[in-house]
Amino acid sequence: MSVQQQNNGSSREMVRAEKIVKRFGNLTVLNGVDLSVKRGEVVVVIGPSGSGKTTLLRCINHLEKIDDGRIYIEGELMGYREKNGRLVEDSEANIARIRSQVGFVFQRFNLFPHLTALENVIEAPIHVLHEPRAEVTGRALALLDKVGLADKANAYPHKLSGGQQQRVAIARALAMNPKIMLFDEATSALDPELVGEVLKVMKQLAEEGMTMVVVTHEMGFARDVCSHVIFMDKAVIVEEGTPEQIFEHAQNERTRNFLGMIS
Amino acid sequence: MFEWNTVWHFLFADPNHLFLIAAWRTLWISVVAQLCGVILGLFLALMRMSRFPYLNGPARGYIWFFRGSPLLVQVLLLWDGLPRIINNPNFLLPDWACILVAFSLNEGAYMAEIVRAGITSVDVGQMEAAKSLGMRYALAMRRIVLPQAARVIIPPLGNEFNNMLKTTSIASVIGLLELTGTAEVYGSQNFVIFELLIVATVFYLLLTTIWGYIQSWIENRLDPNRTIKTELDQKSWAARMLGFGSPRPGGAGTLASGR
Repeated sequence: MSVQQQNNGSSREMVRAEKIVKRFGNLTVLNGVDLSVKRGEVVVVIGPSGSGKTTLLRCINHLEKIDDGRIYIEGELMGYREKNGRLVEDSEANIARIRSQVGFVFQRFNLFPHLTALENVIEAPIHVLHEPRAEVTGRALALLDKVGLADKANAYPHKLSGGQQQRVAIARALAMNPKIMLFDEATSALDPELVGEVLKVMKQLAEEGMTMVVVTHEMGFARDVCSHVIFMDKAVIVEEGTPEQIFEHAQNERTRNFLGMIS
Repeated sequence: MFEWNTVWHFLFADPNHLFLIAAWRTLWISVVAQLCGVILGLFLALMRMSRFPYLNGPARGYIWFFRGSPLLVQVLLLWDGLPRIINNPNFLLPDWACILVAFSLNEGAYMAEIVRAGITSVDVGQMEAAKSLGMRYALAMRRIVLPQAARVIIPPLGNEFNNMLKTTSIASVIGLLELTGTAEVYGSQNFVIFELLIVATVFYLLLTTIWGYIQSWIENRLDPNRTIKTELDQKSWAARMLGFGSPRPGGAGTLASGR
C-alpha cells in the first residue's frame, strides 16, 4: 500500500501502525506489529513483561525511533518524512507538533518537581500552544477539579501521593486537548490502595469518548472499559479482539496461559 | 618588627583607598569571568552531550586543553604569545582584557563539566515528559531540565567562584594590580610586604564570606522544600562561615533537608 492511500484512509483512524520493527542492539522488541485505533476507541494492550507493549506505546509518539514500518497519527506520518522514496527523520518542529496532540501518561508520573501541580498543568499550554495564561489557568483548575485535586493546585509533587501525582499527570496531558491519550502502565508504580482513584479517572475519560491506548496489567479495567484487547508476547501481537473474545474465548495457547497465570 | 599600625592604616585609614580599589578590581574581574565561564560552560556542556560528533568533538578538545594546562600558562600565552602568533609585536591586549579572556576560557572548561554533571543528574523521564507535551529540545532544556539541574550545579559553582576570587591573583604577573599584586608592589617598595599581605588576606576573606552568604541564599531559593521552610531552618551564621556549629533549633541543615 502506498503512502498516498494511507493518507486518504479512514478519517476515523487516529493511530495506524504498520509492521513496526524496533530493535535494541541485537534484541528485537517489536517484530512487525500492526495496530489500528479508531476515534473514540479504547484499546488495551496486555502481555507479559518484556513483550514489547511499552515500547510499542513509546514508538507511537516517537519517544523511541523505529527501525522499520510506519506510524500514522490521524493520517500523518509520525517521526519521519518521505524523501526520494526513503524515510528520513522528520524535523524537530514537526515531531513536537504531532506530539502535542498525543497525551502520554508515564508509569513513573514524571511530574516536574520544581513546579506546583497547577504549574505542571499550565506549563505546556502556555509555552507550547502560546495560550494566554489566564485562560489556561482556568482550564487547568477545572481539570484538576475533574481528577479530584482542586485543593492540591498549589502543592509541589513531592507533597502528593503516587495516586495524586498520577492524576496531576493525567490533567497535565489533558490540558493540551489531545486527540488521543496513551497510558503506559499508569498504575503499576502505585500502592494497591491508590490504583482505584487513577483507574476511576481513566474510566471517566473513556466514557467521555476519549481515544485511548492503555498498556496495563489491570484486567478488570480491560474487561469493563475497553473496546479492543491486544495480547502481545515476544515482540509480536499474538491475538486481538473484543474483551469477550480474549478473556472468555482466547484461541491461542499463550493467551490462555497468560490470562490463567494472572487471574 | 611587624607593624600592626601599617595593617590598621591600610584596612581602615587609607585616604587613597588603595586596597579597596584593588578589591574592587578582584571582584569585577571574578564576576565577569565567572559569568562568561558559566555561559560558555553551558554551551560547551550541551555540545559535549550532543550525539553529533562535529559538536561533541570540539567541545571535548576544548575541555581537554583548558583543563589540562595551567591557567598561568594560558595567561602568558595570551599576553606574550599572541602578538608573536599573529606576527604583530605591536598588538597588545590591555591587561584586563587579556585576564578576562584567559579566565573566562579556562573557567568555561570547568563549568562545562559541572553543568554536564547537573544535566545528567536530572531524570531522563523529565525530558521525555516535556517532549511528550510537545516541547522542543531547547524549550524543554530551558524550562524543565536546567531549573532542576541548577540545584546540583550551584554548590560546585559556588566553589568555582570562591576559587576565582583568589585565582585572580595570577593577574599580578602581567602587572594588573589586584589585591595580591597591590600588596606585593607597595609592600616591597616600603618593606612592609608581610603587613600588606595580611591586609590583602582580610579583603579576600571578606569577599569570600559575603559570597558564602549569597550562595546559601541562592541554594535556599532552589530548595524544593522551601515552601515548608521557615527562617529557623537555616544554618546558623557560625555553621556557614566557619564550617562548624549546629543548625539552629527546630531546623535541619540545607544538606540534610535537600532531596
